[in-house]
Amino acid sequence: MNQRGKSILLMSTALLLGACGNGGEDNASKSDEVSVWVQYSEESAEGQVMAESVKEFNETNDLGVTAVVEYIPRSGSGGGYEDKINAALTTNSLPDVITLDGPNTAAYANSKTIQPLDDYVKVSEDFLPSIIEQGTYNDELYSIGYSESGVGFFYNKPMLEEAGIELDSLPTVDDPWTWDEFNTLLETLNTYYDKPVLNMGFDDQSEWLLYAFSPFVWSAGGDITNEDGTEAVGYFDSEESVEAFDFIQNLVEKGYSTITPVDKGFHTGEYPLYMSGSWTVQELDNEYKDIDYGIMPYPVSPDTNELVSPTGSWAYGMTSSTEKPEEAGALIEFLTSEQELYDMSMGNAVLPARQSVADRMLKEVGEPMQVLIEQNSKTGKARPTLINYPQVSRSFQEAVTESTYFEQNQDIKALLESKAEEIQNNLK
Amino acid sequence: MKSIKGIFRGNTGLKLKKGNSMNNTSFKENMTGYMFLLPSLIVLGLFLFIPAIMSLYYSLTDYYMLTPNLTKFIGLDNFKSLLSDVQFRKSIVNVFQFVIFIMPIQVGTALGLALLVNKSRRGTLFYKVAYFSPVVMSLVVVSVLWLYLLNPSSGLLNEVLQTFGIPAQPFLSSPNQAMYVIIFVSAWQGAGYQMLIFLAGLQNIPEEVYEASTIDGANKWQQLINITLPMLKPTSLLILTTTLIDAFKLVIQPMVMTQGGPLNSTLTPVYYIFRTGFTDRQIGFASALTVMYGGMIIIFTIIQRKFVGEDTND
Repeated sequence: MNQRGKSILLMSTALLLGACGNGGEDNASKSDEVSVWVQYSEESAEGQVMAESVKEFNETNDLGVTAVVEYIPRSGSGGGYEDKINAALTTNSLPDVITLDGPNTAAYANSKTIQPLDDYVKVSEDFLPSIIEQGTYNDELYSIGYSESGVGFFYNKPMLEEAGIELDSLPTVDDPWTWDEFNTLLETLNTYYDKPVLNMGFDDQSEWLLYAFSPFVWSAGGDITNEDGTEAVGYFDSEESVEAFDFIQNLVEKGYSTITPVDKGFHTGEYPLYMSGSWTVQELDNEYKDIDYGIMPYPVSPDTNELVSPTGSWAYGMTSSTEKPEEAGALIEFLTSEQELYDMSMGNAVLPARQSVADRMLKEVGEPMQVLIEQNSKTGKARPTLINYPQVSRSFQEAVTESTYFEQNQDIKALLESKAEEIQNNLK
Repeated sequence: MKSIKGIFRGNTGLKLKKGNSMNNTSFKENMTGYMFLLPSLIVLGLFLFIPAIMSLYYSLTDYYMLTPNLTKFIGLDNFKSLLSDVQFRKSIVNVFQFVIFIMPIQVGTALGLALLVNKSRRGTLFYKVAYFSPVVMSLVVVSVLWLYLLNPSSGLLNEVLQTFGIPAQPFLSSPNQAMYVIIFVSAWQGAGYQMLIFLAGLQNIPEEVYEASTIDGANKWQQLINITLPMLKPTSLLILTTTLIDAFKLVIQPMVMTQGGPLNSTLTPVYYIFRTGFTDRQIGFASALTVMYGGMIIIFTIIQRKFVGEDTND
């Protein structure tokens, strides 16, 4: 073989090796190491708190183990991080502890990606019911959320006053408004400003639509599936669910809300009302300081008067492949202890996952955040734990979107019947 | 594929010239040939042939992303259920709508632009750069920018329409308009690339042909119809084929701009495959969709070549 032939062969071999190099990576850690994968970057607020926490764990734990964190930032919809988990599943190279989005608990538990925590983690009564609900699959706890999230109705105080609304008359978590009272407010504002007054994020065709709109269904007494997650027909298309979707459709049909909201409309004084979550508090306080706002809780169905609010967060889970369940359990217990969760919630401006942290934070945060924390711990409900959650969520999202195209979908009952059937096909 | 075949053919030609005996020189030369092939074969194998064969295999299994070890062979079950899959059918209809409109619009625009910038006048370079610049931008960036321009309540486009007394349009939030908006944006983004290829084709047409026709009394229009277009035929075939295949692969624009909505009006097969495989974790079923859809594209490319390409074997 001549010189050229040799060099080409060399080059190709190098290419081949380079391409395969990543496959051999082994995440099975050393005997005194517990590996953790998290879905945010080290520079993020969460990452900084995490780095501190792990440092403290490594210094104080009496098992002699060292936790090693790998930061794998996710893209908007969870992309990058979950791809890595999926790849690790095929090569059997998962770490000992992973973070997972709450609604993934059922799928991960059912596929034995993660294992029940009860034997290794002492689960305190202090956790909010929604956190336990979110992490429970087949009566066993598989994941523990390390924060909470919630949604409320942001209102622009001067804009409401200008339209003649007494701020004292606004609802509280203990004394919420019914849908009818809420509609009266919208009617007043709509008449005064002569344009849509509430941004509900209808243009965000993603998980948001299930997350934020399912509480209306629950408040009415409807549901997405039965309790076992085996039936949707008869639940998602029940009279109660239909009422909730009628309420949602009416908001668009009457022109109170819009499916094409102005981006950052509330932040710039375009809309007096905005349905959004705790992350908006942070945004407003940091970047739109001249907006004087408050938050009111979800309105409730007039039939039940029951306030239900959305919850959900990322959580810790222990992989089934771990060879160090004791140590991994100790780490999860440490990371979800009161002090760590307090640091995480304060550092990241998110809602707390434990009642004691909630009580502590209530004294330290502003009034809007207080409403969200109070609503969360008193009325929060977790999303359903279903193996095929992505498909079910999509059917729900489509139901919301389709109901807002009111001209084509006057018959809500028929719409929900077809969606219930779709959901039913994805339950097993 | 074609290029590889070509190289093999060249190789046999070489052997025949030297005679049939496997002498030392021809073996060496053959080896050198194969060595040249090796890098591309490895890369193509790793990223094209092996994945294609794997998805063919996965399409016959119930591979669920989270339980790779429990994967079972289930024969043609995936294909049976995809035949009755309403969303897949809808996505096929959508992509055909896209293809039917984008082909003439994008290729026509590209040809028009190429003709405009072909003659060296003052400032042509500026136009070439201007027309080509959308191509070098990432599709995601382009899609996000257009999202802002197209925002029904605060976008620039509606502001402009309204100054001319035209009512504001819903654009991407209307199931009837969304696909046409995506067609427009895609054509705007992609035409510059085809323009460049047309331009190369145009510059390959010898000047003498035009001179001769001028002497014969042909006007500009007759020159375009009788000289430019026929002589561009090989270039056009290349462009039509690549544009068709690209058009069938539409995914980023709907993913960024509409998430397949509203009411699935911009759901395309590739997006549906991505969603089924990576969001819903049904790798087996997504592979079956891929095999089915890949087969369809191959068939359409062959049909297109039959229609457009019959007399271009010169």
